[in-house]
Amino acid sequence: MSTRLQPELRNQLMQYGIGDWNACYHCGTCTAICPLSEKGFLFPRKKIRLMQMGLKNEIESSVEPWLCYYCGDCTNTCPRDANPGELMMSLRRYLTAIYDWTGLSRKFYTSKIWELGFILVFAALVIIAFLVLLPSMGYTLNKELTDEGGVKINSFAPINIIETFDWTMAIVVAGLLISNILRMYYKIIWKHGNTKVTAWVHIREFWRLVFNFAVQPKFGKCEDKRYWVSHWLLMSGYTIMFIVIVVYLPWFQTEKILPAWHPQRILGYYATFGLLIGLFVAITGRMRRKDVKFYFSHVSDWLFLVMLTLTVITGILIHIFRINGMPYATYISYITHMTVLVPMILIEVPFSKWSHLAYRPFAIYFQHLKRYAVPRKTKHL
Amino acid sequence: MKNPERTGIFFYNPQSIIPDPIDYSELVRYVLTFPNVSRIWQYHDFTWNEKNIVSKIEENSIDILIIAGNLPGTVKTLFSKSMAIAGKRPDKVLLASFNDYCTGTSVNMDRLKSVLATLIANLSYELTAIPEENPVNNTTLVIGGGITGIQAALEIAYSNNIVYLVEKTGTIGGKMATFDKTFPTLDCAACILTPKMVEVNQNPNIKLMTYCEVQEVSGEAGNFSVRILRKARKVNVQTCIGCGTCAEKCPAQSPSEFDAGTTMRKAIYIPFPQAVPNKYLIDSGSCIYLKTGKCRACIKACPVPDCINLDEQDQEVTINVGNIIVATGFKPFDAKKMVQFGYGKYPNVLTSLEFERILNASGPTGGNIHFRSQDKKGNWIFTTESEKPEKIAIIHCVGSRDKNYNRYCSRVCCMYSLKFSHLILEKLSNAEVFEYFIDMRSFGKGYEEFYERIREEGVSMIRGKTAKVEEINGKLMIRGEDILRSEIIENIVDMVVLSVGLEPGEDTEKLSKMLGIPISEGGWFGEMHYNIDPTGTVRGGIIIAGVCQGPKDIPDSVAQGSAAAARVIQSILRGKVYLDTCGIPLEKIENRIRELSPVNE
Repeated sequence: MSTRLQPELRNQLMQYGIGDWNACYHCGTCTAICPLSEKGFLFPRKKIRLMQMGLKNEIESSVEPWLCYYCGDCTNTCPRDANPGELMMSLRRYLTAIYDWTGLSRKFYTSKIWELGFILVFAALVIIAFLVLLPSMGYTLNKELTDEGGVKINSFAPINIIETFDWTMAIVVAGLLISNILRMYYKIIWKHGNTKVTAWVHIREFWRLVFNFAVQPKFGKCEDKRYWVSHWLLMSGYTIMFIVIVVYLPWFQTEKILPAWHPQRILGYYATFGLLIGLFVAITGRMRRKDVKFYFSHVSDWLFLVMLTLTVITGILIHIFRINGMPYATYISYITHMTVLVPMILIEVPFSKWSHLAYRPFAIYFQHLKRYAVPRKTKHL
Repeated sequence: MKNPERTGIFFYNPQSIIPDPIDYSELVRYVLTFPNVSRIWQYHDFTWNEKNIVSKIEENSIDILIIAGNLPGTVKTLFSKSMAIAGKRPDKVLLASFNDYCTGTSVNMDRLKSVLATLIANLSYELTAIPEENPVNNTTLVIGGGITGIQAALEIAYSNNIVYLVEKTGTIGGKMATFDKTFPTLDCAACILTPKMVEVNQNPNIKLMTYCEVQEVSGEAGNFSVRILRKARKVNVQTCIGCGTCAEKCPAQSPSEFDAGTTMRKAIYIPFPQAVPNKYLIDSGSCIYLKTGKCRACIKACPVPDCINLDEQDQEVTINVGNIIVATGFKPFDAKKMVQFGYGKYPNVLTSLEFERILNASGPTGGNIHFRSQDKKGNWIFTTESEKPEKIAIIHCVGSRDKNYNRYCSRVCCMYSLKFSHLILEKLSNAEVFEYFIDMRSFGKGYEEFYERIREEGVSMIRGKTAKVEEINGKLMIRGEDILRSEIIENIVDMVVLSVGLEPGEDTEKLSKMLGIPISEGGWFGEMHYNIDPTGTVRGGIIIAGVCQGPKDIPDSVAQGSAAAARVIQSILRGKVYLDTCGIPLEKIENRIRELSPVNE
């Protein structure tokens, strides 16, 4: 089968990031300097070649962009200023858009209006829900305090309604994400030429998915370990928070002020600490622009960081106001918290930056499936 | 005219990028006196992007657009595109490049104005700016005693005219004298160069001034007055018999410049055995007497009375010449800058100039390839006692074609690397040689055939630059990607040769200021016209030749040396020399424009 070249792909990709990739003269320095590039899965040069030639199908079926953690060594040593690191980043954005069957991801990445518009619509819906819907159901501001002096939060934001909403949102987001991962699987493994992967390999390699999700050992292979640590703190903090809020909300959102050593509070504090450290590193890095990985931040990166920071700060405020018995401040913080959190999860997790939480570990899983792929039996006529 | 063409001028003066001594407000006042200039803009007036420029073109219905400033070509595409979008002719974007003209020493406002005036009148500058002529002094000065300078000096001397050949170091011969073989013919470099050097010394028309430096150039074409510093050689060139007794006794040592630091020389030394003049000189930097006031071992050893005078001082000489040929050559790229290759850290990572000396029969190992090893004192030296390497890798494009260092291709590295491969196999027939290249540039006569020959000799050609060189158990590990196979290779070798690129000589900037000739991209001297006048400069009577104009190999340098000489001889035969093209008064150019422009209806 002949290969169709699509040089126009370059222009499409330019919408997902900045880079002078046509400047590459294929010296291979980037691939050789990369601590993560490994046999059979070489990048970034090979990906630059695919991009220069416009081999759309090959780009869409590659796992390599997800194996890169953007340490910036390639961009620093590139003799052509071709910016291979940013190409990998842009490919990740491009692939996120490709995996997404709704087409919204592409809209969000290529148009600020679409992304901001959707965020504002969701934010408005949340505000309406709190100011119109819940009061109409009889849940209004309650100035009374509990015996300990805490805010009666469940009278304002009823635990059962919020929990139902959380579960609904989680199921919608998970559904979208899982369907996208299935598309990713189809593109990378299923559609892939004359090889197949046995069911046993699928089961045997499954641990890699869990392990890579939990630890991100590949990130740790980059020269600068600080980013791995800060990223891991952020990731673990976020995961704990997510589980606690969705699965154990009745246990977490209590009116009773529990002692400081109680697991509820310790987990909450740890998660907040992890999120704050991770966010601090990511934001200050992007502001100082000392490392290559922060040179070319996309609008979507900034949007995600700002929203997550707002969520964390309002979360902290809710906690402080609640235990100090300041009902109005608590309710305002709660509404703000939800106003930022809901669009962030609905937009970022299935369609944008945050989807990498699933795509990265799955890509590593698929990488190992690919590694043990066997040739398909061809029918002899 | 019914529809006069409206001209718009954009001044490209982003001061934040290049400090700019040009007084733009004066230029603005000047161009606004022209009736067909409808609008002018400066760089800071608005954000220069397609959308804004298109709107400016449309608002003012600009037909001709001039970009004026330093390096205006960098933004030309933007303007051509904008013109096309605005529905105008994209080829009507004209460039008034100021740094092409006379920005070497001081800003000549008249010149800049005349460049703008000719462009506004839609004329070519060459037509309006025909320089005046001066009677010429038949004496010529050649700066630089490398192969280019030698060739130029000899050509002029053969025409029975006096040439001063000024050389900074103690001997002529330049970089070519340090080479072992030339590519692609594999001629022995010394065998073809030294006869020419001797001829320079013997020709009565050539006044050889080694260990001298040009200090100041004044006057104009046809009659330059040049102040030359004659550095104290401290050895009388007339009486020195070159016996070498002094160097035997001299206790002070310093790395030999000629051997690229691979050997040590004494403080009193002859640069190399075939040096011209073959007389000793004293390096003031390493001489013990000059530092402490005690020693004088050389004077005691010298058999000729009063030959060595340690208290000799630098002298200044002034000469008058009609033409000046600049042939100052290059310096090699400093491989220490590329830390990933470990030059200076690992003893057996060498630069090409060092390796050239190792291969040379007059070099530290007598032409045999040996490891650099430690002597009893712990210094890393080359001796024939150490073992011979079996695997040698040559890395191309070190410091060239790299936006972090030099963007340009140094043009000679591919070929000399191939030459190295051949010489390695000639000397170590069992050796394995690896060439790590990105693109093979074998562009000259016989070069491609040479490349073919080297490949047939069994050299491993690896496409892909290396990312790093590391030492593992005393061997060198090269990590790179094999582009053709798309696999990482970690190759363990004994010795690594870095094919370093060429960079303009140390004094290029100083000379450019002194002579008033501009520096072009990459730091090389700027020529008058890339294609049709590569040796001419904006200053009349000053001619550039050889590598100082841009990287080139020996045949091209020699050709340029001859070409430069031809220009000098031409002016001597005519008895006249063109003055600077940048010294023409504005009034004259304006008159000429009036003469050449079509009569206004």
